[in-house]
Amino acid sequence: MKDDVIVCRCEEVTLGEIKEAIEAGARTVTDVKRRTRAGMGLCQGKSCEIIVQRQLCKQLNLSSEEAHPARDRAPVRPISFGVLGDEYND
Amino acid sequence: MIKYDAVIVGGGVIGSCISYYLTEAGLKVALVEKGDIASGTTSSCDGNILISDKKPGFDTDLAAVSQNLFEELDQKLDYEYDYTKKGSLYLIESQEEWSVAEQFVKEQTANGYAMRMLDYDQVHRDEPLLADDIIGGIEIETDAAVYPMAFTYSLIDKACKNGLKLYNYNSVEDIILDTKGQIESVLLSGGEKIRTTNVINAAGVWAPEIGQMVGLDIPIQPRQGQILVAERTRQVGKRKIVEFGYMMAKFGSKNYKRDIHPILEKYGIAFVFEPTAADNFLIGSSRQFVNFDNRISIEVMKGLAARAIRFFPSMKDINVIRAYAGLRPYVNDHFPIVSAVENVPGFYIAAGHEGDGIGLAPVTGKLVEHLIIGNDINIPLDLDFAVQKLSFNRFF
Ligand SMILES: Cc1cc2nc3c(=O)[nH]c(=O)nc-3n(C[C@H](O)[C@H](O)[C@H](O)COP(=O)(O)OP(=O)(O)OC[C@H]3O[C@@H](n4cnc5c(N)ncnc54)[C@H](O)[C@@H]3O)c2cc1C
Ligand code: FES
Repeated sequence: MKDDVIVCRCEEVTLGEIKEAIEAGARTVTDVKRRTRAGMGLCQGKSCEIIVQRQLCKQLNLSSEEAHPARDRAPVRPISFGVLGDEYND
Repeated sequence: MIKYDAVIVGGGVIGSCISYYLTEAGLKVALVEKGDIASGTTSSCDGNILISDKKPGFDTDLAAVSQNLFEELDQKLDYEYDYTKKGSLYLIESQEEWSVAEQFVKEQTANGYAMRMLDYDQVHRDEPLLADDIIGGIEIETDAAVYPMAFTYSLIDKACKNGLKLYNYNSVEDIILDTKGQIESVLLSGGEKIRTTNVINAAGVWAPEIGQMVGLDIPIQPRQGQILVAERTRQVGKRKIVEFGYMMAKFGSKNYKRDIHPILEKYGIAFVFEPTAADNFLIGSSRQFVNFDNRISIEVMKGLAARAIRFFPSMKDINVIRAYAGLRPYVNDHFPIVSAVENVPGFYIAAGHEGDGIGLAPVTGKLVEHLIIGNDINIPLDLDFAVQKLSFNRFF
């Protein structure tokens, strides 16, 4: 893949930016997310996390589990403010 | 073996800002961070730089000095961090709040701070999507914001260019004193020992652990806060918007109670709206003492959403895509500890910034520079007074 390929479509982050973040010290998918916003978009990383994870494994020679520990995974599915806030809105 | 002038423990916004100012001043500095830079509380907060939520007097003066330092930093740092200066707006729900707000604005403007009251028409013209029954607001001109993690990386980027030695994914295991009780070296998790005569404890909510290494009890406790992240959407509000009711207790009406669901009171929920540079917005936040638990909870999320709709009913159909929680480093008098320690020469504390660590990072960095080098840092604050006010001694 070339460096200008977009890895995270929701936040428009390129492979080159991911590589730079890893060079600057990121070691997990969450580290890369903080540094680049990749994974912070509407799909919450469903499409891009796996590519970020692979890049980490490749660049730092890590196992998949090391690159993306289970505790780091996002727990929420999109839900509207209206539905979420209904109970305590008085 | 290399000997550093100072070793900073913690690569959050505070440790990073200190490393920037100390390397600018020409010191040889190392920074030790147990994970990646900005992976602690600095990874799960808002990026507001406020004077509006401070009490008149020293509290505001300190924050204002820091606000001005952000202007300076903006000229000096290379890496982009979305610094914006859109001001902020406080929403007023009742006559009782209005009178306290008026008094507050009077005092702050007399001290030279740019704030003004907005009446019903003005506030609704400014923010057309506001709930109809909001009776007015306070506009604060100088309030600003950054993307906190990027700000932190930017400080580190510049500090590294100034010669900072970075030990990330390394934690400090012990601090070794010499026979005279002075700092001698710092022991890292990898077994490496770094020699230095000064250690700066900038470990946020973990600062007490670092204090223990030199026999100190540092009174900082984690105070959890949660935030909802909205999807990218049409504009809801133009700038940072906060409810004034929550500030009432702070500004003097101790018995004031907001007319809200008891659940919101229980979780300390106050409405804070922050538009981001990524065209979405954040809704904060809660305040709870739950030790080191930084998981989100559905009950708090419901409360945050309810409070958001109260002020902006049209948010109802916008989606929440994520939530996160962070641990504010809380001190009981709400001032950070930025201090030398008498009994342990060479040991400094710069922690306990609760909900203001981003905003107060620059002034903290400057004060640490003053404490360590003893130079004139050229900021418009009575330094002796500030040093006393933020000292570790104040707890004894
Ligand atoms: C919900 C929420 C909203 C907020 N909103 C705002 C806001 O709008 N504006 C504002 O100004 N502030 C805000 N804050 C407060 C702000 O986030 C904190 O005050 C600030 O991030 C604290 O920074 P710090 O550097 O002291 O701590 P941290 O960022 O936690 O940094 C401390 C670092 O020390 C490291 N560490 C710990 N132990 C060791 C060890 N043994 N060895 C090496 N490293 C170690 C940790 O890994 C961590 O990275 C908010 C906080 C929360 C929770
Ligand atoms: S593709 Fe990265 S968040 Fe959706």
